Amino acid sequence: MNVREWALVAFTICAQMSVGAFVVLGVIHWFAARKAGPDEADRLADRALLAIGPTLVLGMAASLLHLGNPFNGYLAVANLGSSWLSREIVCGVLFAGAGAVFAFLQWSKRASARVRNATGLVAAAVGLALVFSMGQVYLLRTVPVWNTVATPLMFFVTTFLLGSLAIGAAFVANYRYLQRRDPGSLDVQAGLLRGSLRWIAIVSIVLLGVEFVVLPMRVAYLAAGAAPASQSAAMFVGQFGFLLVLRLVLVFAGAGILGVFVYQNASSAGRERVMGNLTYAAFMLVLIGELLGRFLFYATYVRVGV
Amino acid sequence: MGKQLAFHVDLSGCIGCKACQIACQDKNNLEAGRAWRRVAEVVGGHWVPSAGQWHSDMFAYYVSTACMHCEKPICCEVCPTQAMAKRPDGIVLVDQEKCIGCRYCQWACPYGAPQFDAARGKMTKCTFCEDLLAQKQSPACVAACVMRVLEFGELEELRARHGTLRAIEPLPEANLTNPSVVVTPHRHARVSGNGAGLDVTIDQRGAQ
Repeated sequence: MNVREWALVAFTICAQMSVGAFVVLGVIHWFAARKAGPDEADRLADRALLAIGPTLVLGMAASLLHLGNPFNGYLAVANLGSSWLSREIVCGVLFAGAGAVFAFLQWSKRASARVRNATGLVAAAVGLALVFSMGQVYLLRTVPVWNTVATPLMFFVTTFLLGSLAIGAAFVANYRYLQRRDPGSLDVQAGLLRGSLRWIAIVSIVLLGVEFVVLPMRVAYLAAGAAPASQSAAMFVGQFGFLLVLRLVLVFAGAGILGVFVYQNASSAGRERVMGNLTYAAFMLVLIGELLGRFLFYATYVRVGV
Repeated sequence: MGKQLAFHVDLSGCIGCKACQIACQDKNNLEAGRAWRRVAEVVGGHWVPSAGQWHSDMFAYYVSTACMHCEKPICCEVCPTQAMAKRPDGIVLVDQEKCIGCRYCQWACPYGAPQFDAARGKMTKCTFCEDLLAQKQSPACVAACVMRVLEFGELEELRARHGTLRAIEPLPEANLTNPSVVVTPHRHARVSGNGAGLDVTIDQRGAQ
């Protein structure tokens, strides 16, 4: 059976990337505010915040395309008692709502910093609950390829890997915007950018390591099982072997090799241009690699029974 | 224990003619690719040496399968809209008004029972011919079975008469969904979980 679900590939990747970006942005903003004061932290982070909402909305719109009757989609929250799909959708809507409130308050500076922080924390918690529930959706006892701890684990790896690199790319774009449009001094911003990208590079390399441990273990575990687990494993190394290798090469090149270069270039001042281009390239490579990986996640579906 | 309608299939007498499958498609107006009742053809065996000679121990048997109207239906468990629901008489039905066509039930069901109506964007499945039952008639598949090996009734009565076997290859292990079915096995039938080496074909023309 073919479950080549492009709509769900787009939805899960976009939603996870927005949660990861939101959390990473919050953490970096907190450290930046302590280091350089709230104004410089806002100058670093506020424009990046605006990119998260559209990404999430795009993903949720894509998820509707998966439905046979998109206009009845609102009914999907009716089984919170037992369906993780219902819970996933509720979490998604709540994350979108809380995130939008936070973005509005942060952008317009309408509320005190304390209220804004609290809103942001609530939104982040709901976002993490969204990624958790997305993982639970696929833990079906009749689908062995999905029904392992690797599913939620890899969802969280994707969340933070794509989220941090997306924020890295957004910071670079923001810095270049400031260079063109903002007459103020950029020394502090350049320092914050370098510091952020160093940490983003480190996080990416660590998560790459996790991915390179979990993925082979997952395939080996499935291969050792009875059918249909072994059938899914055979698809990973057989008909989809090339795509699996391509996906690993892309993520390794992006998060691993470019991650090291980003770290090196971010460690000394005056190399913002090279560092920025490397960050863009790393984000694109990892994004394509993760999209391919999610395609394989659905394509290797094999169910128990008839 | 509440009422639970169920099918019994006597595989020792099934000849694999698929009249049940065709009757179901006919009665329910199913296009090619949708078959709420399907017949799996199971083939096994090979050449084996014995006393200096080779002989064939090949065998074949058929398993007529539809929605098992499970007592622990995974489709109802995962359905986000509660469109998939179990009636008091045990029949699992899709409320066509509520279904959003997410196909999550189709991913989950180990019997391939929920089948998507692409033209309407809704999930459909075996209804146990509840309309015929209301008129005191048999489901179309049961009425059409030329070997008279397919019957329906209360699960407990069927069990009392035919035993409690229900998990034979290629059907999944019964603990997954607790299916409401009783199977009288073919003499070559293997218990679920021992399917290695069996070749299973389900002819569902045009299936996605």
